Amino acid sequence: MSAITNTSDHGHDSALHHQFEDIGQQNDSYIVGMWVFLSTEVMFFGALFFIYTLYRWNYQLDFYIAHEHLDVKLGAINTSVLLFSSFTMVMAVQSAQLKRRLHVIGYLLTTIVCACTFLVIKYFEYSSKIADHLYPGAGFATDAHAAFGAHAFEAGKLAVNMNHAQLFYALYFGMTGLHAVHIIAGILVILALIRLWVIRAKSVTLDYIPTEMVGLYWHFVDLVWIFLFPLFYLMPKPH
Amino acid sequence: MASQTSHSHEHHIVPTSTYLLTLILLVLLMLATVWAASFNLPAIGPFSGTVVNQMVALIIATAKALLVIMVFMGVRWSSTLAKLWVASGFVTLILLFGILGDYTTRHYEHQHGWEARPDGSLPRSTPDEEVVPPINANDLNVKIRQ
Amino acid sequence: MSSTVIPSGELGQQAEESNYLNVKHTIASWLLTGDHKRIALLYLVSTSFFFFLGSIAAGLIRYELTSPAGVVLESETYNKVFSSHGILMVFTFLVVAIPAIFGNFLVPLMIGARDLAFPRLNLASWYMYMTGGTLILAGMIFGGVDTGWTFYTPYSSMYSNGQVTMVIIGIFIAGFSTITTGINFVVTIHKMRAPGMTWFRLPLFIWAMYATSLMMILATPVVAITLLLVVYERTFKLPVFSPELGGDPVLFQHLFWFYSHPAVYIMILPAFAIVSELIANFSRKRIFGYHFVAFSSLAIAGLGFLVWGHHMFVSSQSMYESIVFSLISYLVAVPSAIKIFNWMATMYKGNIRLQSPMIYAIAFLMIFTVGGLTGLFLGAAGTDIHLTATYFVVAHFHYVMVGGTMLAFLGGLHYWWPKITGRMFSDGIAKVNAVIVFVGFNLTFFPQFIVGWLGMPRRYHYYYFAPEFQAYHIMSTLGATVLGLGFILPAFYLTMSLFTGPKAGPNPWGAHGLEWETSSPPPTSNFTETPIVMDEVYDFDPVSDHAKDLKDIEERNRRRSEEGYCGSEDDN
Ligand SMILES: [Cu+2]
Repeated sequence: MSAITNTSDHGHDSALHHQFEDIGQQNDSYIVGMWVFLSTEVMFFGALFFIYTLYRWNYQLDFYIAHEHLDVKLGAINTSVLLFSSFTMVMAVQSAQLKRRLHVIGYLLTTIVCACTFLVIKYFEYSSKIADHLYPGAGFATDAHAAFGAHAFEAGKLAVNMNHAQLFYALYFGMTGLHAVHIIAGILVILALIRLWVIRAKSVTLDYIPTEMVGLYWHFVDLVWIFLFPLFYLMPKPH
Repeated sequence: MASQTSHSHEHHIVPTSTYLLTLILLVLLMLATVWAASFNLPAIGPFSGTVVNQMVALIIATAKALLVIMVFMGVRWSSTLAKLWVASGFVTLILLFGILGDYTTRHYEHQHGWEARPDGSLPRSTPDEEVVPPINANDLNVKIRQ
Repeated sequence: MSSTVIPSGELGQQAEESNYLNVKHTIASWLLTGDHKRIALLYLVSTSFFFFLGSIAAGLIRYELTSPAGVVLESETYNKVFSSHGILMVFTFLVVAIPAIFGNFLVPLMIGARDLAFPRLNLASWYMYMTGGTLILAGMIFGGVDTGWTFYTPYSSMYSNGQVTMVIIGIFIAGFSTITTGINFVVTIHKMRAPGMTWFRLPLFIWAMYATSLMMILATPVVAITLLLVVYERTFKLPVFSPELGGDPVLFQHLFWFYSHPAVYIMILPAFAIVSELIANFSRKRIFGYHFVAFSSLAIAGLGFLVWGHHMFVSSQSMYESIVFSLISYLVAVPSAIKIFNWMATMYKGNIRLQSPMIYAIAFLMIFTVGGLTGLFLGAAGTDIHLTATYFVVAHFHYVMVGGTMLAFLGGLHYWWPKITGRMFSDGIAKVNAVIVFVGFNLTFFPQFIVGWLGMPRRYHYYYFAPEFQAYHIMSTLGATVLGLGFILPAFYLTMSLFTGPKAGPNPWGAHGLEWETSSPPPTSNFTETPIVMDEVYDFDPVSDHAKDLKDIEERNRRRSEEGYCGSEDDN
């Protein structure tokens, strides 16, 4: 029995690791393991969604007024971009199942292009918020007034509680920021995967599971955005 | 070590048309949610219009999420074990939302009912007790960090 | 009791040739290993190091408290010392130790696998742990934290001046190491069991590890994100938890305890795991009510997610929620009691062998029962208002964490030491040490129940308002000294055994289980061929076993006295 060094054990013909009996067991393990990891991620983002729920429910009007500065059009475009990237990702997995190497690489590259588009749009969104002093921090209460403009005033009095508006932006930057970090991590992982496909590494070409795992992660990132979009961009007016 | 094997590996290859259809549905749902948000929906029963609006948005989001999970992530075709773990995160998340139980019941706690009653066994304060002045933050030896 | 197809004699010979310890000797072969057994040893060394540092902090605290006006420490230093003690002990020792050391070592062995499902992830988790631990230590060296291990806001986010950010990031990274360990265990237990190893043939150790992993995976991310938000708030002066900006500090407590109550079970369930093995194997009986004990682990994991509010009875939480949490907290006592009673029933009329691991297990039973019952005092919303933040709480959780987890840890260390190192230690000294730990422990923490009940607040280092507490504190400090001795001694005699101890055979305790079917120390691939499990778990035959045992023991005594083995075996 060869020593368990597992640094480069898959030199031979199969992508099977030494600790598994057969490829079926290994594939099942990887898929279950990925889902266990994603359940961790669900709780990770879930706690943030809970915090959002609590404050949103307590400060409805302030959150509504603060949210008006988000651009629904850009949000919707970004949603479509991510949905489309999920589609290209799933097509990459399907191509991996069919062992069409160039298709896989093509679809993965498209996915990365989508991810970068998403980030670029996000960058423009962030910078317009920052230009309007809508970033939370010590100066928010004084600097962000102008951005709220006339309709934030009722009978000459500021109708929005600046602290609560700041809370909204703290959550907005926190949650979309963490999501963006996941997108960046996803881009890096997909790049690594593309490299493996390009050099025809047996660990990915013999079996579609590594591609599938990256896919699961990518769909999860999409999943988070599916909830972030209506919660931040499509707030109903309290009526 | 493979007693519990493994639904072998005749993996299910889903036709492109299914994926395309899913994508189209997802984009349509996205458009639907933007469109629905442009109305002030009427109140239904005990729910105010705001809540109805929000519920519509969340139901659509959940539908989208289910499509992604079931089709794109392939949970429809995966093992029971994987399905259980898909559910576990979301179930625990529901437990986390149990924290709301605190905030939703606080206002039922009528402090005034806790005032001293002549016949009460556990009053929160006694009538002859002095009024304690509120704590002044400046008296405490703490400063906001610079 | 051979449950595998491998004749053990064959294995004994093979062990002479190659095992996981002597297969390679370079430092790189340790630092880059994928072998779960080597990673377990890496964890053993590193967690012991952090435990040692945490103990020094504990010693400082106990020394400071010997006088009502304090002895050596400034108030702020004292705050930093008790925070360091809590953070090091909880995040770098208790949560990690048993799963990462014994779980890592034993899960594959017990289920008959060659390794965990993801060896590289396993190694990565050790590096994450070390990175986290290093950051925590660095934070403590460059300024320290004075928030306590709970990091309550807004103190931690708006006021505290220490290295809160660095320590929190350390905890965040160390937290991900426990998550990855949990993922590894879950997948391994589901997917890597040997043929014939059905769920109800799994040792109870595995069931408890599975329950622990569940909580690691599902609870840790919540505290990770919560602490990350504290850093976010500190760095950018944001309002998430700070009341002056519309945030809610109680929300922090909710989220923190949503993790930290399950974390208590992350610390104690592995102890249950070990104790189940010890009691069954040293009573030479199948665990009474195996299914109940197995499912009580899962019940604890499930209920553990529903009781976090019992830490918040005085935090302005709604009293209705307090009532619910109080009731559910009482419910958690049920599965814990099921375990205790089933262990007792296992010992009843068992063929008990009072060897050192069993003494630790019995000490665990006694101490954990006290710890668990005093937990009910605290779980009752009414009495808790009197007891909150007193030494009663401190004594309670040390009865559970030190008396429970630490004793089980020591018991497990002695029990599996021959398997891990291939050497037998002196059972006589180990027994004496078990008694020292038991006495020292009770002397340390029992007075704290009394002094806490009388009103001594925790985290205070002056008690000139009640100088009569000094006697209790001095008693406690004396006990801590004895306890410290009890922790240092094993380090010596176990290390000694590596050089002078007699070779342990594959199964020095006559125990039952797959890990005892392979040689000690096991070969790198654990088993020469995949074992096939054909008999039930804890399949001791009490009647013939007893008769055979008496003969076996006599013979073993004779053989060992010839070899110069100094332990006594006359315990039947
Ligand atoms: Cu608790």
